[in-house]
Amino acid sequence: MKLGTLVSTTIMGLMLSTSLTLAGPETVSGPGANPECFAPWDADTKYMQWSAKEGPYKIAVVNGFVGNGWRIQMIKTAKAFAEDPSMKDKIAEFKVVSTGTDAPAQLGAIEDFINQGYDAIVTIAVAPEGFDRVIRLADKNDVVLVPFDNVLDTDAVMQVNEDQLLMGRTWAEFALKELAAKGITSGDILEVRGLAGNSVDRDRSIGINEVLEADAGDWKVTQVVGNWDDGTAQKVVADAIAVHGEFDAIIAQGGTVGVVQAMIDSGHPFVPVTGESENGFRKLVAKYSGEGLKGISIGQSPGLVAIAMKAAVSALEGNVMPQLISVPLPIADYTQLEDGKNFWSELPDNFFTVNEFPPCGVNISGPSIMAQSEADVK
Amino acid sequence: MADIRSALATNMRQNVAFYIAIAMLASLYLVYNLMHPRGFSAAVLIQNSNESVAIIFLAMAQTVPVLLGGLDLSVGAIMTLANCVASVVVNGSPGQIVLGMIITLATGTAFGFMNGLIVVYGRLQPIIATLATGAIAIGLALFIRPVPGGNVDGDISWALTNDLYEFVATYGLFDADAAWFKPIAWIPVPLLIVVVIAFGVWLPFKRTVTGRTIYAVGSAEGAAFMSGLPLNRAKIAAFTLAGFFAACGGLYLAIQTSSGNADITQAGAYTLNSIAAVVVGGTSLLGGVGGAIGSMVGALILRVISFYFRIVSIDPLLQPLIEGLVLLAAVSLGAFRTLQVKNRLNLFR
Repeated sequence: MKLGTLVSTTIMGLMLSTSLTLAGPETVSGPGANPECFAPWDADTKYMQWSAKEGPYKIAVVNGFVGNGWRIQMIKTAKAFAEDPSMKDKIAEFKVVSTGTDAPAQLGAIEDFINQGYDAIVTIAVAPEGFDRVIRLADKNDVVLVPFDNVLDTDAVMQVNEDQLLMGRTWAEFALKELAAKGITSGDILEVRGLAGNSVDRDRSIGINEVLEADAGDWKVTQVVGNWDDGTAQKVVADAIAVHGEFDAIIAQGGTVGVVQAMIDSGHPFVPVTGESENGFRKLVAKYSGEGLKGISIGQSPGLVAIAMKAAVSALEGNVMPQLISVPLPIADYTQLEDGKNFWSELPDNFFTVNEFPPCGVNISGPSIMAQSEADVK
Repeated sequence: MADIRSALATNMRQNVAFYIAIAMLASLYLVYNLMHPRGFSAAVLIQNSNESVAIIFLAMAQTVPVLLGGLDLSVGAIMTLANCVASVVVNGSPGQIVLGMIITLATGTAFGFMNGLIVVYGRLQPIIATLATGAIAIGLALFIRPVPGGNVDGDISWALTNDLYEFVATYGLFDADAAWFKPIAWIPVPLLIVVVIAFGVWLPFKRTVTGRTIYAVGSAEGAAFMSGLPLNRAKIAAFTLAGFFAACGGLYLAIQTSSGNADITQAGAYTLNSIAAVVVGGTSLLGGVGGAIGSMVGALILRVISFYFRIVSIDPLLQPLIEGLVLLAAVSLGAFRTLQVKNRLNLFR
């Protein structure tokens, strides 16, 4: 009774808006639209459908933390994609705000855009929990809420991500494979984690440790927290090497340029390293792989924002969408690196090499987006 | 009559920064509502107040140690600790929920009390002592909730983050559509909570000897000591009260998000923002001047500035810069008078 009363009273009492005919998406059966781009997470992923709305749409991006290269590249990609010919006509209004690491502010911004009558809100959640209220409000107002990158622990909204668990597993499997090739079947591994309390960090770490535990060898894992940031990662890795001595492999989640730099500075011999898709990391691996820096680079692409925007528009057009959209992992190991193709030796270290997803029509490459000035993007 | 007028004039003169802050908030909020597509509606007010509660409580928490002339770097951490405690205990039957809330508030208050004891009997500078205890609070929070989650009662979460109408309807207290209830049904519950705590706890406390001693310590600790005021009691009370307010913020955060999250970055950001809010609200960092109501206004100014980014098109990468500039302007407005006076004693006349 309570929920029923709640639903009706909310609509009456809270919302003075006029279009209150429907409440949220319907669960339908697949397959969904454009499956090459919007691939379902797994066989159990359910499908959702919103009632079709007339375009063009008002879309907002509510970012949380801002201030690392990844987020800046993400924001630039979002703005460039909103101006892309395939999207421009479908978007009436486009806004990007960053709230900082502040849950009430992010929830408030989302609710504000719902109040303002936006049709879709794309967001990187600051925490995997706590969005119940805005999800409820979004459904009441038929607003499509699309968390991506740091997603929510719920199946009530459509979300876009890469499989972080698989990413962690792939990293660990690569490290074990390279170690086995060197004849090492047990030893010490340094795990460099990301931002604490974050679902991405958690899932990647689970994936890494699953594989290491399942392996027959006896692996001692030392964890340090690098916050996915070059400076922090460099410091904690240097500390770990100073305290612990040598590691047989380093499995990092990000800030990988700093990780490798710490190895070089401390005279640590080159060992297998896993990491993100920073251009600088790929440059280092290409340069030193002959000396033992066998690296694998898997990117969480800032271009995910473009796919999330595209998914939001597709949902607003009334298409059937998977609840959880899986974007394939862009993987490159030391044997696959090619200058000018998946890394750029003449360009700076701090951008993320994987940005484009051709099956989705997202063709904004890393170098082009970072080369553009703000004025160009507008 | 003349007395009242001159008393009012003195009050205005002594609290210029506070009245400037109020005027600034009023004009910022008015323009915001005029520009917002759904301005002046209950939905906007509810959203705004929900977003502001945590930072308001933290600003009030920060005010009390600042009035002493100290800084409390643990308020954000205590909020986070209370948030995590609440995410464990605030559920179950109505009785259990109330008990859970009391436990949450008691945790923060006890932590503040411990801060006070360390500052007074450990004879440490508040800023250093609270830096250390803040780390302890975060450690406890992470211990209680290593990963975000928890299960705060959904009804309480919905009822307390909406207007009075929803509150009454959720719990079926009485007929929410009653005619007499109409005029006040739109008032957001979070706004009420803040007003009740601010005027029900802070104002009475301020008038007690302990409360006045806090001001006296901030103005001239030596003089306060020579006057025989209870310095130790006032200092301990100040940190305890800070702990209580911070716990209120944490409890509300848990109710708002139905979960707990030991987010270190967020704790740090809230601590820093609380100091900014205190200054914008007219409380002097040197101590002795200001009050929690001013800090409440200061916190609201901080929030309203960020509201603007959602209705005005400003380049997302320029937003922090502009926020900083507006904040600097707001702080400078309050300090303007300090620059003009030739004799600093004039400020207190």
